[in-house]
Amino acid sequence: MKISKFMKGTVALALAGVALAACSGESTEKVVKVGVLVADVSGEEALGFKSYLQNYVAKQYNYEFIYSPQIESAEQAKSQAETFIGQNCKAIIDMADKNRGDLAKLCNDNQVYFAIGSGMMSDEDFAASKSLEYFVGQIGPNMTTEYETGLAMGQYYKDAKNVTKIGVYGAFIPNPMHLYRMAGLLTGLGDTYKGATGQNIVFTVFGDGAQFDASNIAGDVAIDYCAGFDNEGAIFATVGQIIAKNPDAFLSVGMTTTFFADTLDGAGVEYSDIDSFTSANGNHMKNGSLGYLAGKYSSSLGPVFAAIKSAIDGKAIRTEAGEAFSLSQGYWTAKSSEEFEKFQSADSVENPIFNKTLLDSLIGLSYTEFVNEVAKDRTPQ
Amino acid sequence: MEELASRNKIKFDKYRLKKLVIALLPLVALIALFVAYLIILNANDYNVSMNLKTLLNQSIVLILVATGAIFIFTLGQFDISLGANTLFAAVIGTLAYKASGNIFVLFLVCIVVAVACSLLNAVIASIFHLPMFVTTIAMLSVLTALATFLIQSEGTASGTSFSITLPSNLVNDLSAIDTPAFKISVVVIFMVLMIFIFNFTKVGRKMKFLGGNQNCAKLTGISVSLFGIIAFALAGLGAGLGSSMTVVYAHTVSTTTASSIGMSVFIAIVFGGMPINGGARSRIYSALIGGISYNLMTNILFILFQSMQGVRDGLVQVISGIFFLAIVFVASINYRSKNLPR
Repeated sequence: MKISKFMKGTVALALAGVALAACSGESTEKVVKVGVLVADVSGEEALGFKSYLQNYVAKQYNYEFIYSPQIESAEQAKSQAETFIGQNCKAIIDMADKNRGDLAKLCNDNQVYFAIGSGMMSDEDFAASKSLEYFVGQIGPNMTTEYETGLAMGQYYKDAKNVTKIGVYGAFIPNPMHLYRMAGLLTGLGDTYKGATGQNIVFTVFGDGAQFDASNIAGDVAIDYCAGFDNEGAIFATVGQIIAKNPDAFLSVGMTTTFFADTLDGAGVEYSDIDSFTSANGNHMKNGSLGYLAGKYSSSLGPVFAAIKSAIDGKAIRTEAGEAFSLSQGYWTAKSSEEFEKFQSADSVENPIFNKTLLDSLIGLSYTEFVNEVAKDRTPQ
Repeated sequence: MEELASRNKIKFDKYRLKKLVIALLPLVALIALFVAYLIILNANDYNVSMNLKTLLNQSIVLILVATGAIFIFTLGQFDISLGANTLFAAVIGTLAYKASGNIFVLFLVCIVVAVACSLLNAVIASIFHLPMFVTTIAMLSVLTALATFLIQSEGTASGTSFSITLPSNLVNDLSAIDTPAFKISVVVIFMVLMIFIFNFTKVGRKMKFLGGNQNCAKLTGISVSLFGIIAFALAGLGAGLGSSMTVVYAHTVSTTTASSIGMSVFIAIVFGGMPINGGARSRIYSALIGGISYNLMTNILFILFQSMQGVRDGLVQVISGIFFLAIVFVASINYRSKNLPR
């Protein structure tokens, strides 16, 4: 009897599900679906991008952006990409950074457009993928931009804040993006790594088998270093020890606002980061001790969408050689709460920088025109 | 007297019917889920063949690892280190494949390493007279740490994790066998072998006996240590094949590879109708049925709650958990009988 009730319940549930699915199938018939692969489902930057895509772009263009669950491994990324393809997504935006070369090929084999929305492909992967017909391209800060962003941060704290002893968080070094930022930061502070300065620091680290050893740092500014690739307890303990030494500032090449903002706010230690212009970061700058933020803004993803829509509409933006593009996009930098608020109000979900008018003007451009538009400085004055 | 005999016969028939229904329930549930999945895919105008291919890719590694793990579960034991074992074997296998360029070496190394790690669990438990699941907890930490060390030493940083990626010529070789036909063949061969050992040899029967009543089994001369070692070796074989298939599919290995396998194996086996205490009612095909059912259910839930993206992932987890409890409850109806398992 119990089994019979259970089976009845199961059948009823299945029928309800089928009915629900059937209804949803009818209503989404003409919407263009785009899958979004994400490794971070709760970070401020990720939420900003998600809000822009789902609450602004989707409504303006009758698109649907289907987000993946949190992607943790390459096999999950591939499986989720296959799921998106099975759901008839016309394109996939990758922000998860798990074996991108493989995903580009998978999408190409299935005639689904593939674009990178956060970070950049490795040079090897990009070289191997750029000729794929369905690989749209990538827009994001390139390594030179990453280096210059770190450099500006270092120079600011050396020249304007006169720091002499600081804490530094290396995030996910030897991830190239973080390593280039670190090279810039050390150079800006006037420090050296194994005697190297500038981008030579990167080559030195890679020459040592990609092992970054903070004891090789020398210079006037004393640095207590914390690496991000360690177990969570050890990282927090190291940050705690650095704070206990009362540094002039705690400078970071990424992820500090996500992990340590409350700790640093509580300790009253000024800190910097490279992240994005989100309300939480604004709060840390206004009410906490976040003193410097180089960041992306939510609608900076706009050109990626424009490129995808161009491709879907049959007006793909390709380089002169007919290949996928790789374009750099800079950061905005706020050093005060007022500056932060100015940036934030200039790029809201209701009124983003890359609004419909601007997006419409990007769709279907030639490669050269598109490059010029993406390169334009849109920093609010 | 006759009336009593008739009443007992009716009771016995009812008992047998209940047993049969419960035995068939996982298969019925699989068929129901599959039909519902097809209806939902069609209703949403999804690409059915692509979704079935995805389902196959999602289930292959889980089925292989879970089928091997059935032998451990039959003994009433639990191996929490299966995910770490799969990861470690995949790392060593990938490095060996990178060095040799030979796919056969990839499979061989993955299997040898996984079986060796699994055997180490059983041997340590045997030497120190520890419950086997205790050694698997220690092994989980050791294998994860070793794999992480190797990946960080030999791999490159990508995103927020390190990974060992294969060069394009080796990826092309792997892509050639990354086909449904090859994957299904591997599963079929492995399943046939495991079904034979489990159902048609003394090894399988003695394991069921051990899982049902260890003291009784010991008194009849069955060695707990010996069959523990055999069970872990077979589980290692499953983990080894699973790790090779992971590399064949993903073409890379990172610290997060196979991270969810350990828990998924347990859920899949229970979904497939395996008694949580092992013993005589253990079924080797539970992994196959459960592995597919579990992925079917998850996929269906993700489609149904697609529009509720803010709460979708949490909702799917909660509903999966409720289903899991419901299945354990229904399955346990059969164990509440005072009779010994027949």
